[in-house]
Amino acid sequence: MSDRPLTMPLALVLALAVIVTLFPVFWIVMTAIKPPTDWNAVPAIWVPGEPTLVNFRTLFDPEALGVYGVGGVSEAATQAVFGSLLASIVATALSVGIGLAAAIAISRYSGGGRATPLVILSGRMFPPAAIAVPFVIIFSTIGLIDTYFGLIAIYIAVTLPFSTWMLKSFVDEVPKEVEEAAMIDGMTRVKAHLTVTIPLIKGGLFATTLFIFILNWSEFLFALVLSYTTIETIPVRLAKYVTATAGTLYGVQAALAVLAMIPLVIAGFLIQNHLARGMTFGAVKR
Amino acid sequence: MNAHSTTSAAALHMSGVSRSFGNRPALKNVSLNVPSGAFVVLLGAAGAGKTTTLRIAAGLEDTDEGSVLLNGVDADGLQPKDRDVAMIFDNLALYPNKTGYENVSNPLKVRNVPRDAIDQRVHAVAGTLRIGHVLKRLPKTMSGGERQRVALGRALVREPKLFLLDEPLSSLDAMLRVELRTELKRLQQEHGYSFLLATPDFQEALAVADTIVMLVDGEVRQVASPQDIYDAPADRDVARFVGAPEINLIPATACATMSDRRLDLLGASFITAPGFADIDGEFEAGIRPEHIRIEHPNNSAIRAEVLDIEPLGMRSAVTLKASEIQLRATLSAAKAQAFSRGATVGVELALDRVLAFDRSTGRRID
Repeated sequence: MSDRPLTMPLALVLALAVIVTLFPVFWIVMTAIKPPTDWNAVPAIWVPGEPTLVNFRTLFDPEALGVYGVGGVSEAATQAVFGSLLASIVATALSVGIGLAAAIAISRYSGGGRATPLVILSGRMFPPAAIAVPFVIIFSTIGLIDTYFGLIAIYIAVTLPFSTWMLKSFVDEVPKEVEEAAMIDGMTRVKAHLTVTIPLIKGGLFATTLFIFILNWSEFLFALVLSYTTIETIPVRLAKYVTATAGTLYGVQAALAVLAMIPLVIAGFLIQNHLARGMTFGAVKR
Repeated sequence: MNAHSTTSAAALHMSGVSRSFGNRPALKNVSLNVPSGAFVVLLGAAGAGKTTTLRIAAGLEDTDEGSVLLNGVDADGLQPKDRDVAMIFDNLALYPNKTGYENVSNPLKVRNVPRDAIDQRVHAVAGTLRIGHVLKRLPKTMSGGERQRVALGRALVREPKLFLLDEPLSSLDAMLRVELRTELKRLQQEHGYSFLLATPDFQEALAVADTIVMLVDGEVRQVASPQDIYDAPADRDVARFVGAPEINLIPATACATMSDRRLDLLGASFITAPGFADIDGEFEAGIRPEHIRIEHPNNSAIRAEVLDIEPLGMRSAVTLKASEIQLRATLSAAKAQAFSRGATVGVELALDRVLAFDRSTGRRID
């Protein structure tokens, strides 16, 4: 942290960045509490005169918008929320778990040789859309399409390169001698990894988990093409709030988006304290 | 090389150990012995293989060839935790998230020693190493010397069969270093610990070692007592490494005359003592700076010009040029004051202390 005073030009740039970043959030939150008449009014209504929670109610009660004469919402979003939670939590846990094991293997044992990290990353070197169609075909054949198992498997495959690389950089920061000291103190190699290394990369572990969770939570493409009727996630549900009579239900979409933001905002605040670097300072002579 | 006999009681016995990293050999056929209760010092420059040797003894590194015996037991396949060794790492490797107390007590805690006994041991060690004031603090708040002593504490808190110390005093200031090395030596002798200490500092080695193992480029060049390694170095590399200012190496020729043997060096001829009987022809003469005396130019066969005088405190190092060859001599500071830069002086060599090295192999010729 520098103690330089915030000069006028700096403050302006900062203000611009804050406005650009936060405006969509502001707009979504406002839209979520607007009655249907205000959703796409011209001129735009910035802050609704009569805020309402009807959009949120519609998420769980499709008939709720009836009081405004809007109908045609077929399904509640309950299943999508459940589906997103299930797929994101399970896929994130497994991706981070497998990624951590891989990171330790690569960092400490040069597991698989020097090319391994790059080979793992190569899984991200083409656009996801390129593999979406082949996966639809493969999953249809082996019966994994429209199942959470299939969706979670894809999410793990897609996020594993990130979790491995991020965690590897954190494990690399812990001097291997600290683990070795623990082994000489009387621990097995595995116990040294678990009780010495992992606590030292706690911050990195939290950050990686949050990052992977965000990826999974906001994933749209695979969830769309791999789901028919049995499974659904929030991003897919968002795209479905279009009715024949009333067009796109902006307010309901905004309400679901606000709901989807809540876990991320909470997680963001929770891990702030763990994001500090320099956890290993003092371990070795520098 | 075989200065020690192989006994099963040796805390550590390495024989014929080789180890390469990629195609770079780190250790070549290294054999060494740490008798139980002995203080053995691994002396060598950076990259000589000291750390690799210690890591192999600790079980942190595999060998390509050779055997390692700990207390007469083949250590092959034994995990570090089962070797009953303690190690101080070159970079200390403290647990950064643990306090001084937790760092020092960890080896006992992991081995399920009762809490009371741990407490007693930790405080005893902390007293010896004067780290009582940092036991409640994290390593990041300690000074370099305090961290070093906490690392020492973590090793000394147990009483393992062998201590492996990788440059344990290197980050301390000069005063503390000398103080702690005396303390280490005392602890080692008092408790009969077996120490294998690696250092690039020959003075430290001479001060504490029972036996010095001199490593050069991954090879054991000499195993000897401190005095022997100084007085009778096995080769030119050892002679240059041990001693400051460095030993003078001067081209010389020995040959037989009708009745005697003649030694030519620095443009002068000497009728020699029997020490050079085996040498015929050119060789390299090694003369330590303290074996050169400076005299009045009229009294000496060798004349030299004084290039520089460097005070070392009690003594001064004088750089001389004789027959286009630079020499370093040490003499008492009082005596050195008699000369000034550019003066011409006479040089006397203590011929009986001259070491002879083979010009091509560098081995010392007896």
